[in-house]
Amino acid sequence: MGIKDLTTMGESQVDIKNEIRQRMDKLVEELPDFCFQCGKCTSGCEAYKLLELEPHRIVALLKRGLIDEMINSDVIWTCMSCFKCRERCPQRVAPVDILFSLKNLSVLQGKQIPGKFTGMLQSILSSGLIQGIQEVTTCDNRTVTRDDLGLPSLITPDSGSFQVSKIAIEKI
Amino acid sequence: MSRIGVFICHCGINISSTVDTEELRRFSGELANVVVSKDYIYLCSDAGAKLIKNTVKEYNLDTIVIASCSPKMHEHTFRSVVEEEGVNPYQMEVANIREQCAWSHEDKEKATQKAKSLVAGAVAKARLLKPLKKQKVTVVPQALVIGGGIAGIQASLDIAEAGFKVFLVEKTPSIGGRMAQLDKTYPTLDCSACILTPKMMEVANHPHITLLSYAQVTNIQGSIGNYTVAITKKPRYIDVDKCTGCGVCAEACRLKGKIPNEFDMDMAKRAAVYVPFPQAVPLKYTIDDQTCLYLTKGKCGPSPACLDACVPKAIDFTQKPETMEINVGAILVATGYDLFDPSAVHEYGYSRSKDIITNLEFERMLSASGPTRGDILRFSTEEKPRSVTFVLCVGSRDETHCTYCCRIGCMSALKQAYLLREKMGRDIEVNICYTDIRSFGKGYEEFYRKLRGMDINFFRGRPSDIRPLADGVVMDIFDTITNKLYEISTEMVVLIPALIPRSDAVDLARLLNISVSADGFLLEAHPKLRPMDASTDGIFIAGCCQGPKDIPDTVAQASGAAVRATSILSKKELEVEPIYVEVDKDLCSGCGVCASVCPYGAIDLQADPDKPGKQIAVINKVLCKGCGLCSAACPSGSLQQLGYKNGQLVAMIDAYLE
Amino acid sequence: MKQYGFYLGCLMPTEQYAYELSLRETLPHLDIELIDLPGASCCGEPMKSINQLMTLYLSARNIAIAEKKSLDIFAPCAMCHLALTECQHILQHNESMKNRINSLLAQEDLEMKGTSRIFHTVDLLHDVVGLDLLKHAVKNPVALKVATHYGCHLIRPSEIGRPVDSENPQKMENILITLGATPVDYPQKLDCCGAPILAHLPESALTKTGQKLQAIQDQGFDALVTVCPWCQKMFDARQQKAGEIIAATLNIPVFYLSQLLGLALGIDKKKLGLHLNHSSVNSLEVEEL
Repeated sequence: MGIKDLTTMGESQVDIKNEIRQRMDKLVEELPDFCFQCGKCTSGCEAYKLLELEPHRIVALLKRGLIDEMINSDVIWTCMSCFKCRERCPQRVAPVDILFSLKNLSVLQGKQIPGKFTGMLQSILSSGLIQGIQEVTTCDNRTVTRDDLGLPSLITPDSGSFQVSKIAIEKI
Repeated sequence: MSRIGVFICHCGINISSTVDTEELRRFSGELANVVVSKDYIYLCSDAGAKLIKNTVKEYNLDTIVIASCSPKMHEHTFRSVVEEEGVNPYQMEVANIREQCAWSHEDKEKATQKAKSLVAGAVAKARLLKPLKKQKVTVVPQALVIGGGIAGIQASLDIAEAGFKVFLVEKTPSIGGRMAQLDKTYPTLDCSACILTPKMMEVANHPHITLLSYAQVTNIQGSIGNYTVAITKKPRYIDVDKCTGCGVCAEACRLKGKIPNEFDMDMAKRAAVYVPFPQAVPLKYTIDDQTCLYLTKGKCGPSPACLDACVPKAIDFTQKPETMEINVGAILVATGYDLFDPSAVHEYGYSRSKDIITNLEFERMLSASGPTRGDILRFSTEEKPRSVTFVLCVGSRDETHCTYCCRIGCMSALKQAYLLREKMGRDIEVNICYTDIRSFGKGYEEFYRKLRGMDINFFRGRPSDIRPLADGVVMDIFDTITNKLYEISTEMVVLIPALIPRSDAVDLARLLNISVSADGFLLEAHPKLRPMDASTDGIFIAGCCQGPKDIPDTVAQASGAAVRATSILSKKELEVEPIYVEVDKDLCSGCGVCASVCPYGAIDLQADPDKPGKQIAVINKVLCKGCGLCSAACPSGSLQQLGYKNGQLVAMIDAYLE
Repeated sequence: MKQYGFYLGCLMPTEQYAYELSLRETLPHLDIELIDLPGASCCGEPMKSINQLMTLYLSARNIAIAEKKSLDIFAPCAMCHLALTECQHILQHNESMKNRINSLLAQEDLEMKGTSRIFHTVDLLHDVVGLDLLKHAVKNPVALKVATHYGCHLIRPSEIGRPVDSENPQKMENILITLGATPVDYPQKLDCCGAPILAHLPESALTKTGQKLQAIQDQGFDALVTVCPWCQKMFDARQQKAGEIIAATLNIPVFYLSQLLGLALGIDKKKLGLHLNHSSVNSLEVEEL
């Protein structure tokens, strides 16, 4: 029993497909099942032209349970979360939300997190913000920070009671 | 003492796979007054009917209980069967052990227990049933058709040809409807007006058809066989007996060329006095009371220009609305459709560009009698476009707008693309953006094949947005067939929007007491087997008012609905079920609560002839539809519905609870 | 004075100082008092790709902090506004998720109830302050032909409730007209700035930024107006880099709406952080500049 993709020799992974559906059920209401591949999402996808992300194809692959191909790819990280696909889909499917769930699953499975995400994550775990106070240059070439500009000091979360590290390892 | 026979149906395995029919039969046989109890695999079959009849004869039964599917399915059939053997058809009770038992439960033991209760209840009521006589209603052999489009026209002609008088009521000044707005029809490319106008003329000339144009139905009373309908004829302010349709008034009108012409989808302008289109039937002018200077402001120059110009002196500003009342035996609704407003799909820019239009607007443009005399021109520049792009499914198959398919979109776009190519030759680029091409009808696939050979760019996909630019329109569309994103730079975009019910469809439905489905179209009695019957007896529906469809299907449905109507009209009398309400005069206190809750106006308070000074409720048996509201509301219990009396129902409930 | 919990997010308080400066300067003139929220953290939206549960937790926590002070929330960053609004929407419909998160928040003596309303700069000015009050406060009309950039997260997804219309937003235009400017719609108005992929796909992100700036420049606008520190960062701070990536000369002044507001109210340039804008805002030929 089962479906095999002859291009990649990938087999349909019904269990993981159901897990993604469950994650989505817990967070949003749209279901990928109703997609009829009209392509309106990809027509307007901000990430398609430069990065070849095809939201309708992501949905179709999910429907068939061909998850590994997506989780192991770079393309799922190209989504710009502009939400146009969710807004304009005539069947209330939300490829953007499917992509978030695929990315989360990819991280859970220990795949490499691209770019500066790791740095941002670590910063949040320690200070609660994605980065520390930055020095910026003015138009007359001086460098200033928050204090120099007279803005009130930032009071970040108390590291003792901040529970973010607990939730960082939890699953949905 | 009644002699009751109980018949249990297996309904194949629909009932017997969940309910133990053998046990049910045994149980039923032991109930008081039950003389015999049988079970059979298909009671609704010929053999089943024979079984019932033979058992009635053998055991001399006078009351029947049938445990089967919903009475909505076969109660009528079973009543006829028992009547043939001499049993009063109203001494029969149906216990629904399918939809209300076998089909709603899985536990066999509990389902069987419930079925026993249901049968016991039915038997308890059956013991108290009395023979009833069917009501007879004299049928008025005349029909009312509401709506003068092709559906209404066809239905009127069919009913009239069958020999019955027809009143055809049309809201606008002329019949013809949407078909009159079309240039050509697919797949034969017949000129729409050419095939329509002969039928319109037939309607005008038919001795049995009374055409009431520029009129509306305002009230309906009565029931199948005998309806009383109030109609208001709006004033044209023109004496139709004198008007020759010459058009001099429109030429002279001070507002000539100023009023948006609805027939041309507001793309052209008319005068305040007008005919909707040149082949109008009746060819009589009408003064638009919303725009006419004299009617709205009381003054039109030194004197109204039309009045001065009209030679036969047909202008008559003193006209008032006229009301009339007619009696008909059947009503047929054929009020058609409206177009979904594509500005609701904001991303497609309909309201932001003159060059983004609907298919109906494009159809008027294609038409030789239309606003551009058949020339294809961009509204922004009034020049020929070098590229036209059709976008299908705008608002259709869309959970956020209309969930259903519009059924005519694909074919109408193909037709328009064909006509465009024919008019403009090779010089124009034609693009069609589709999700599916639904070319389902006779000759439709062959037509689609023809289009595929006409150098048209088909894109399988939907644009995310359509962007008007300073000169032209641009859209990105992902084509799932070649798996590529295309940027289409075009000069005119034709959107194919969904079809929606007329805005006043709900009001008309309320007037007629018929149902509307979730999508707003009129609801048919059964989607497969009774698609032209409305939910109320005696009222029929045809054409797009029941759901989007094209001309062949509309005409077919109209003729079908006409036959349904004539099946009533051809009878001198109709038998109506005697499930109306009776009043016990001694118990009635004349409180009037019943009259206030009756939705059909069937109850009046009148003076009691035997007790001066006292009032009692009087029921009009013809108007009464047996809904039971009054008997539920009646505080004294004096109102009892035949076949559903309090005593009978209480006995049923007691048996259920045992 | 109407009081609002001033939810800063991350980027504005650590880098996009001009936005915070101009808001703190201008809003008191319009009867709005901004109350700081000590202990607030990132809204979590940048982490949504990593762990959506963390995003919900962080947003819920920030809402709870404001709720503890019985304050409605003013979130001037469009990304934060989306995160907080979506969190409220999800937890409203998902009792078990709400309980799970609240059990963690309880460790800090916080609870997310969903009682605080969440505002952004655009609806705060348009719906709360109102155009009438704004009109009366304007001293120096800012006569510029401006292009508005709402940002994807401010306008979508409409079903959870956004402060402006998703396909034809006009609130910023209405505000700008009141400030004396001439906003003009343009075909690329709803296009993305590219910020969400800046961290890991900078070239593509900046190509997006550059393409939109080029289109705006080609259509003869005097300036671009933003309402989100991410969008402003892309169009203003990264304008030069964007130009290099798409091989074009980009020179278009980019303002925060609050900066133009401040200019219209007659407030000093320095106090509005105009010296921190990278784009050519200071060489613009407008009276008051």
